[in-house]
Amino acid sequence: MKKIFFVSIAIASIVLVACNNSDNNKQAENHDMDSMKKDSAGQTTSMEEKDIKTVAVAYTNVDPKIAASINEIIDHYLHVKNALANDNGEEAVKGSKAMSSTLGKIDKSLFTAEQKKIYEENEEDLKEHAEHISKSKIEHQREHFSMMSEDVYALAKAFGGGKTLYHDHCPMYNNNKGAMWLSETMEIKNPYMGSKMPKCGKVEEKIQ
Amino acid sequence: MRVFKKIVWGLLILLVLIQFIPRSINKSDKITPTDIVNNYRVPDQVQSVLNRACYDCHSNNTRYPWYAHVQPFRLLLDRHIIDGKEELNFSEYGSYSKKRQFNKLKSIGESLEEGTMPLKSYRIMHADARLTEAEKAVVLKWVEDTRNLIVEGKSKTSL
Repeated sequence: MKKIFFVSIAIASIVLVACNNSDNNKQAENHDMDSMKKDSAGQTTSMEEKDIKTVAVAYTNVDPKIAASINEIIDHYLHVKNALANDNGEEAVKGSKAMSSTLGKIDKSLFTAEQKKIYEENEEDLKEHAEHISKSKIEHQREHFSMMSEDVYALAKAFGGGKTLYHDHCPMYNNNKGAMWLSETMEIKNPYMGSKMPKCGKVEEKIQ
Repeated sequence: MRVFKKIVWGLLILLVLIQFIPRSINKSDKITPTDIVNNYRVPDQVQSVLNRACYDCHSNNTRYPWYAHVQPFRLLLDRHIIDGKEELNFSEYGSYSKKRQFNKLKSIGESLEEGTMPLKSYRIMHADARLTEAEKAVVLKWVEDTRNLIVEGKSKTSL
């Protein structure tokens, strides 16, 4: 009886230590962040915001109509992202349908040749993922969302999104192969894990 | 009893009539320049799997089994082929954008691993579409290799 008791204590402690490891690192980081914040009290941006690598948008000469369409695409993308973060497949369907319709009416004649090339590299793929998301269950939606994110990331880097976008990465999704997404907030809200692990992931860079 | 007879006759006549529903034919014996074999290296083992297990619905060339000549099976089959080709057509793979080619390969690998492809109904009807673990492994390796080539920007023409 004693033996069983000790063995189970041992197992429990190993499990706890293993589970805590990742949290501990996070806590340590957070702790550092907190002290940094205190150091830089009174400044408008906190240390962490400043620590994020900034990527400048490639084209500043984008036609206003195109810019508006790209912003729309990104807004619909964020709609899908937030829906998935809330485990809401039906809402993701709405967002992806809206994205499909925006993709269908973009006026490609307004791009410069170089811009058009970038857009067309992603267009076909993006349309396909939007279509799939609009007619599948949430796990499959997430698979396509991971590929869609790569496309939207390419567009955001080229044309901007009308706002600061954060490029986040989750190392665990898809058997630890990992996946990226874009977010309008610095706070991590994981669209791949949803309510299971909403905080999993880290900010890689911001696009401005 | 008379009602029953009428129903049976009615069904028989219907069965004869539906045989006249127009059928699409998905047959092309030409290998187009956009065919995957003209764009990326496809090893013989992989080609054999693609021919047996994929091309009936995912290329411009379907091998029609005997039951395909009987309605309503043909309608189902035609539908499958339209959907399949829209999703992925190996005969037109070269016309896809690099990004889509790259992602299609990923989906091919995932469908094989998850067992969603070839379709279960198709596997039941086609013994040669049931892949062995070894065959799956060969295709998965080819998927990975080809994706790496796409990332490096190498296609068959540039190799």
